Amino acid sequence: MASIRFKDVTKRYGDVVAVHDLNLEIKDREFVVLLGPSGCGKSTTLNMIAGLEEITDGELWFDQQIVNALPPHRRDVAMVFQSYALYPHKTVYENIAFGLRMRKLAGAELDRRVRDAAAKLEISQLLERRPSQLSGGQRQRVALGRAMVRQPSVFLMDEPLSNLDAALRISMRAEIKRLHTEMQTTFVYVTHDQAEALTLADRIVVMNDGLVQQIGTAHEIYERPVNMFVASFLGNPPINYLKGEMTRSGDELRFRRGQVDLAIPPALAARLNGFKGSQVCIGMRAEDVDERGTPAPGRAISGRVTSVLPIGSDQFLGLELEGEELFFRVGKDLRHATGETAALAVDVNRLHIFDPDSGRSLLW
Amino acid sequence: MTMTAASPARHHRARSDLSRAGRGLFLAAASLVFLSYVLMPVAWLVSSSFQSEREIVSKPPHWLPHEPTAQNFSAIFFAGEKAVTYETRRKGDPATGGFIPSTAGNLLPSMRNSLVVACSVAFLNLLIGVPAAYAMAKVRFRGRQASIYGILTTRVIPDIALVVPFFLFIRNLGLLDTIWSLIITYLAVTVPFSVFILVSYFESLPDELDKAARVDGCSRWQTLTKVFMPLALPSLVAVILFAFLASWNEFLLALMFTQTPKSQTLPIIVASFTSDFTISFSFINAAGVLAIVPPVLLALLFERYIVSGLTAGAVKG
Repeated sequence: MASIRFKDVTKRYGDVVAVHDLNLEIKDREFVVLLGPSGCGKSTTLNMIAGLEEITDGELWFDQQIVNALPPHRRDVAMVFQSYALYPHKTVYENIAFGLRMRKLAGAELDRRVRDAAAKLEISQLLERRPSQLSGGQRQRVALGRAMVRQPSVFLMDEPLSNLDAALRISMRAEIKRLHTEMQTTFVYVTHDQAEALTLADRIVVMNDGLVQQIGTAHEIYERPVNMFVASFLGNPPINYLKGEMTRSGDELRFRRGQVDLAIPPALAARLNGFKGSQVCIGMRAEDVDERGTPAPGRAISGRVTSVLPIGSDQFLGLELEGEELFFRVGKDLRHATGETAALAVDVNRLHIFDPDSGRSLLW
Repeated sequence: MTMTAASPARHHRARSDLSRAGRGLFLAAASLVFLSYVLMPVAWLVSSSFQSEREIVSKPPHWLPHEPTAQNFSAIFFAGEKAVTYETRRKGDPATGGFIPSTAGNLLPSMRNSLVVACSVAFLNLLIGVPAAYAMAKVRFRGRQASIYGILTTRVIPDIALVVPFFLFIRNLGLLDTIWSLIITYLAVTVPFSVFILVSYFESLPDELDKAARVDGCSRWQTLTKVFMPLALPSLVAVILFAFLASWNEFLLALMFTQTPKSQTLPIIVASFTSDFTISFSFINAAGVLAIVPPVLLALLFERYIVSGLTAGAVKG
């Protein structure tokens, strides 16, 4: 159990800045997910916590101690890797026991802990096998076992589910969540998969180009993205952007782009008071439309249907609007054919409005 | 209809059977030619070592000795009990009638020198090469690329170019005519290539394994000994074999730095038999048989690692 604090931490490889001026506090027993595209610095951040990468600038604190110079084997951390990184020459039992043996644990206590962990992960029958004889899912469990048996104060995971197939990924997600509840320890989890981040995290740290974009709960990140990068990184299909003009007539604020004319509700309009420009970019989440009935004026969009992609529970509808192709998620009952014109009602209360130059949200 | 369909198929099968048999026959013949090319000199070496000097020059040569004799070997192993001098030979002493060289007694001590040198060099190659290669493959430090290239560059310098600097170096250290001179110079020649073998093997092992071990509680040194070395066993064997054989066979440097049987190695002593009062080729061949015993034993011992070790690192994955 430990809290982790990054204070102005920078990591450079030669001229390349991998992580820039990171300030982050991870509370004891918190489950934090570092989310971002590849090369955004999330794995580097995780490696710095483990001590596998040196910190170029700044301070890293574990509780009340600066650990910048502490080598990995002196930090009480355990780590699960994307490639599992099991020791090929050791049996499953010895793989799990290795970390304990390195900490001078032996005898009955070691045996008990290894078998406990194996039982919890349902790999007891595999203890005598070697990693090469296991399936991907089984290897992943061994890797988890090897980390949890140590009862570390910080549990690090670097894209642990990326090599598993889709069904297994979902069940392992639930298992990891359960593990966190049981172990009562600090988890830091790196992924580029928004679904993993949203389901697992107490808090999500969205990163891009070595910079933290936003830190918040899954709800905050999804509902109140601070910039266009965060907004587009979460959501499936991704959020739709439409640039246009904001006009004010009296108390009423409207967004216009060719045929598109949306009334901005007063709650949102009030937040835009400080904004002087007229060009904005609105963001519409794919699911924030209603396909039933005839939309009221001021919240309607209509365009030519470019594609209909049923995904079972819903369908994705591609709509050409003012020269842009937007994607929406609509109910499976909606029947439209490619080439037809469809009209949808936008939930204007859930619109996102960004400054098109800086990409920043004008709302949050 | 079925008849016409079946018979071409049968013909075809017969033809392919024939061509398969022909191919097998050709491969067997080619292997036989290659094997004789490789093994015939060794067979003659062994056979002639059991022949007398008179028989060895008979025409046609005797592939199997007609009058097998162990006199060459007994001259080597019981050299001390026979005083072989110009006089005894002139008197036609039957024990020394086989043109046994007067310095036959130097062979066993030189073999011991060779063994000590080759084993030390092999061991020191591991001791120096393994940590060096691990660092170059897995530790990120300034000058890492430069050190890899630097070490490889030394391999393109021919040994003969190094003889004079080595000689001055050894003389100034006062190590001329000691086996230390050989151990030191052989290390300089072998370590770079050993490091090269090991670096490519270590690089083929995933970085995450290194990280996993260190997070699991290993220091760098423990990561090397507990995880990387067991996994790199084939390449360690390759290094042992390479260093041992290179030292065991080395001639040029040994010729330069050693002067007396106290420090001379097997190749030097065997070569010296050709400049004695008389030359016995059967005796020289007996010495040759002894010279190939240690390498063969070593190869048998490590047989199962050799193939994977020599190709290790050639293909990453």
